[in-house]
Amino acid sequence: MTEEAVPVVEPNAVEEPLDLVRLSLDERIYVKLRGDRELRGKLHAYDGHLNMILGDVEETITVVEINEETEEEVIRTIKNTAEMLFVRGDGVILVSPPSRTGA
Amino acid sequence: MSTTNQLLPLELIDKCIGSKIWVIMKSEKEFTGILRGFDDYPFPIKLQDMVLEDVIEYENTPEGRKTTKLEQILLNGNNITMLIPGGEGPES
Amino acid sequence: MQQPPIQQQQQQTSSPTEFLNNVIGRPVLVKLNSGVDYRGILSCLDGYMNIALEQTEEYVNGQLKNRYGDAFIRGNNVLYISATKLRE
Repeated sequence: MTEEAVPVVEPNAVEEPLDLVRLSLDERIYVKLRGDRELRGKLHAYDGHLNMILGDVEETITVVEINEETEEEVIRTIKNTAEMLFVRGDGVILVSPPSRTGA
Repeated sequence: MSTTNQLLPLELIDKCIGSKIWVIMKSEKEFTGILRGFDDYPFPIKLQDMVLEDVIEYENTPEGRKTTKLEQILLNGNNITMLIPGGEGPES
Repeated sequence: MQQPPIQQQQQQTSSPTEFLNNVIGRPVLVKLNSGVDYRGILSCLDGYMNIALEQTEEYVNGQLKNRYGDAFIRGNNVLYISATKLRE
């Protein structure tokens, strides 16, 4: 048996962007989606497409409506919650993990 | 393979390195700048990500054309429609 | 690939890889196709143009809308990465 050349990588190092997501497993994250949708929830699983399983989720949808009488823009937010949900990766714009201390 | 006088698209762009180029995107955006370089992955799959210098970005908005100057950018090749050597840009 | 012939060719060319080596760890502006801008320190990125930023600021129509400590930006949304530090 030969020794396996296991690269000595600091487990907390961010060497590629997806490491940022990997380090957020089991943490609450913020996800910005297309269509002015935002999610906050606990990251249970993800893959390279950024498909994700989130738990204990709060969804915020921002809608801009035009008041027909005053023609003013009215910004309205709709909130939904879900115990568990699957996010399809192609809608993801940004993922932000909880602030980590120490580098 | 014999040499012909046919110029492949990529060779044309290669000849533009160091010169001004005009990039038209799928959306209402255009760029002009000096082409510094690009990666050479297979051409038909994706137009190259390219490095541009002394860039002017043109955005066509309902309020008219907006321009932004940028020193150096790496432009994502995914949404490039057209590359025009010379690069006079939309304002000529 | 053949060498680009002629003229001003001794001016350095800069491939995307070289560009990125120069800007990693530095402040960058990332513009998305939607027009939203992110400013932050470029931690790293991959071949899909997925990007990890630190000290991220989100600008919508030029106005600061959000701050994130770390941010992962999915590459398909990215229009360009700029090394400039200019602020409007």
